[in-house]
Amino acid sequence: MTGILGIYAFDERWRIASFGRYGLLALQHRGQENAGLVTLGKAFQECRGQGWVEDAISEERIRELRGHICVGQVSPNEVPEEYIQPLMLRGSKPLAFTLDGRILRIEGYRWNEELGYEDNILKALSEHMEGEKDALEGLKSFMARCRGGFSFVALLSDGTMLAGRDPLGVKPLALGKIGFDAAVVASETCATDTIGERMPVSPAENIEPGELRVFTPLSARSEGLFKGCSRRAFCAFEYVYLARPDSYVNDIPVYGIRKAIGEILFREAPAEADVVIGVPETAIPFAYSYAYKSGLPVEKGFEQTGRRVRSAIKPTQFERLKGVQLKLNVISEAVKGRRIVLIDDSVVRGNTLANIVYLMKEKGAKEIHVRIGSPPITSPCPFGTEVPPEDELIGRHLSEERIAEVVGADSFHYLTLGGLCEAIGLPRDSLCLGCFTGIYPEV
Amino acid sequence: MKVLLVGNAAREHAIAETLTLSQRSVRLFCIGELANPGIIRLCQKTGGEFFRGDINDPEFVAKKADSISPDFVFVGPEEPNFHGIPDTLEDRGIPCIGAKRAVAEIEMSKASMRDLQWEYRMPGRLWYKKFRSFEEAVPYIKEYAESIALKPARQAGGKGVKVIEDFQVYLQEEKRELKFDHAKTIVDFMRAYDDVEYKLLIEERVWGPEYTLQCFTDGRCVKPMPAVQDNKHSFEGDLGPESGGMGSIACGPNLKVAVDSEESILTMEEYRASVEIVERMIDAIQRKTGERYHGVVAGQMMLTSVWGPTIIEMYSRFGDPEAVNVLPILKNDLVDVCEAIIDERLNTVKLEFEDRATVVKAAAPEGYPERRDLAKGHPVFLDEEAVSRLGVRYYWASVDARPGEPPRTGGSRIAEFLGIGSSIAEASDLAEGAFAHIELKDAWRIFHRKDIGTMKTLERRIRLARLARDIYTYKARKGVLGKRLIWIPGKGLMEAG
Repeated sequence: MTGILGIYAFDERWRIASFGRYGLLALQHRGQENAGLVTLGKAFQECRGQGWVEDAISEERIRELRGHICVGQVSPNEVPEEYIQPLMLRGSKPLAFTLDGRILRIEGYRWNEELGYEDNILKALSEHMEGEKDALEGLKSFMARCRGGFSFVALLSDGTMLAGRDPLGVKPLALGKIGFDAAVVASETCATDTIGERMPVSPAENIEPGELRVFTPLSARSEGLFKGCSRRAFCAFEYVYLARPDSYVNDIPVYGIRKAIGEILFREAPAEADVVIGVPETAIPFAYSYAYKSGLPVEKGFEQTGRRVRSAIKPTQFERLKGVQLKLNVISEAVKGRRIVLIDDSVVRGNTLANIVYLMKEKGAKEIHVRIGSPPITSPCPFGTEVPPEDELIGRHLSEERIAEVVGADSFHYLTLGGLCEAIGLPRDSLCLGCFTGIYPEV
Repeated sequence: MKVLLVGNAAREHAIAETLTLSQRSVRLFCIGELANPGIIRLCQKTGGEFFRGDINDPEFVAKKADSISPDFVFVGPEEPNFHGIPDTLEDRGIPCIGAKRAVAEIEMSKASMRDLQWEYRMPGRLWYKKFRSFEEAVPYIKEYAESIALKPARQAGGKGVKVIEDFQVYLQEEKRELKFDHAKTIVDFMRAYDDVEYKLLIEERVWGPEYTLQCFTDGRCVKPMPAVQDNKHSFEGDLGPESGGMGSIACGPNLKVAVDSEESILTMEEYRASVEIVERMIDAIQRKTGERYHGVVAGQMMLTSVWGPTIIEMYSRFGDPEAVNVLPILKNDLVDVCEAIIDERLNTVKLEFEDRATVVKAAAPEGYPERRDLAKGHPVFLDEEAVSRLGVRYYWASVDARPGEPPRTGGSRIAEFLGIGSSIAEASDLAEGAFAHIELKDAWRIFHRKDIGTMKTLERRIRLARLARDIYTYKARKGVLGKRLIWIPGKGLMEAG
């Protein structure tokens, strides 16, 4: 995952940098390791840095960034400063480029194992562009050579912005607007909510798999980028965990799916208990609807210290545990002497969950019945969502009973794969369920 | 009989077509600034003639009219009204379908129109402020951070209107900067017009589905046509600069989804309320000026959460492309209607339209609407036969025909295509087919909006209407329709509206 953003004002008088910064802030949940923003007026201006959006792109710097077009991103991947996206291609056809997901191969390009991922992409892109007359046509034909699961936004120095998705639609991308003056493309619609118009009908719409949107000073149009794409492979994990609940992903409301997951989780695994508690933040809607269906009360079980951190996507074990421990101080009064249904969105290694269960029991919880709003994660993601090596994945190796013992719970249940597909409401063959099944769509 | 038409856009092509379909065997004459090949053909076919010239020059138009001595003149666009063409013609005893200068004020001066609405306490009056200069507007823009529409205070072909939503305090600085910049741009550009006192209008920003209610009027009664929904923004998804209109839809009086559908953008009640607003506007301007209104009037309206049916602007003529939605399905003989207007017995006419869905889509050269310099002068190829074979009707717009040469783009829309069907979606699909048969021979790009009239767009508009309706009906129930109640800490409750 990564959160990508592009804003295109048709009126050149707009100063767009601040819109870019707040748009990225709305995508912060998709990546908290680094952030970058490139604006274009008369020339490219760049700003990138490590850490949160507010630190990496300071308000002072925003005042210096001119231009009515911008592209930016937030990433959960630790990279040295020079690889923080948007990547810049210098040379005769300069461009800024940012991507969510992963390009797995480039037709006709031999991957250089000596170089890192970013350098390979830049090398292939620069070689391709050198042979092209027109920058727009060049970038289009380059993207058409790329295979993988990705969404991208690119900005050419002549003021043309391109945004598109791979033909499977693994990674999300939505189009919104700021009034009538500017188009917004973003990984999620919540970015448009934050900087766009308050038209009560969501102005954001889906960019379809394989579709390319081109914005020029004189036009905004949709084109097909890949030929013959009918198969879909929408990332199911977006709905479980990655996306914000106020977003629409592929035109489907994430919140609705999260509520359905809670309902189905109750149907699949009811529990004798006194109270339902969700692990903040992602699992809260699961807990609401589990509680509603079960007739049990739902309560706030935790209070957080410090900033809202997405602990699961932190790169190191230390950072993850620190995140959980600071985020999840158990409220004694909510758990003392009670039988608890504890709901979380997913389990990767199990050690943060074990920590939570321990903290709750320490504060006097009588029983803890863990319910997980997704199936066991058993396999890596080839499309760039960070999943640890297979030998670290608890769900790949242990049964539900064993996991209950390991984390110290009285019972433990994963949402079934069927339950997940039912909650999303799409046929199984239009989803990428690779992290749960090890079966990946062919790119 | 002889009829002289003034104007040369797609709207006038549709008027010309409808006039020549009359049982009264019309010889059509036309004065236009560019040679519209469609209108020229109709003139030739009926034994009339097309003249090129300045349609806003009363002397020139009157001289031509004198030489033709037509039974009446039909004025298509608004600028000739603002230049008193109907007044000049009627002074010479030539009856005219076209608003005289005094009553055309409701379109020409957006400030006067709002003044009138407030003076007569009409429903749908938006809050506004008018300014003579940029300096006058500065303190206001500085003090109030609000969502506003900045408009030139005079009708200027739809140019210069900008809506700036200003809710997010964290983006206020950038928005204020642009408000200043745009206010200045408007005042600068309005220097070209010396016929209005006020240059800049700032109005409260409203939201909701827009629609145009076109009516015939003889000054005694108002005969409404089906409501039409235009799409002003240049690019798909309502993005990009405001254009003259990229396409429009209509079905039944109240924008139904299909002929036999219960679903519609407006309720019949809202349609009737809109008609009443236009009636009151005509009544007010006649009382104010003592002049009769003969011709076409249109309310360019919006179903807002503040008022329900609300006037955004008035037209002293047909809308373009909206004319193309209604004229081809008019059951009456247009010449009969015109004569009834001239004789002020329009109340005896029962205006009828075929119960069909109509969708108009405009083809525009890239560069339109902001860079007309780039959009101009490209040779057009339209396979008229192929389009006709599809069952699509086409109306030439801003092109200039020359003998023995392909017509060249004039910088605005090239042509408008009309699909007629039993549902909006069907009519839209039909019109869409025409775009395979039009191109610019120098390979300059043509663009149009595929999304006009699709079910997806329709559903969105219906949803928007419902939201606006929920709020304005709530306000009506509470007795605060059109009112703004503001609690100012330390000052107390302020009521505006």
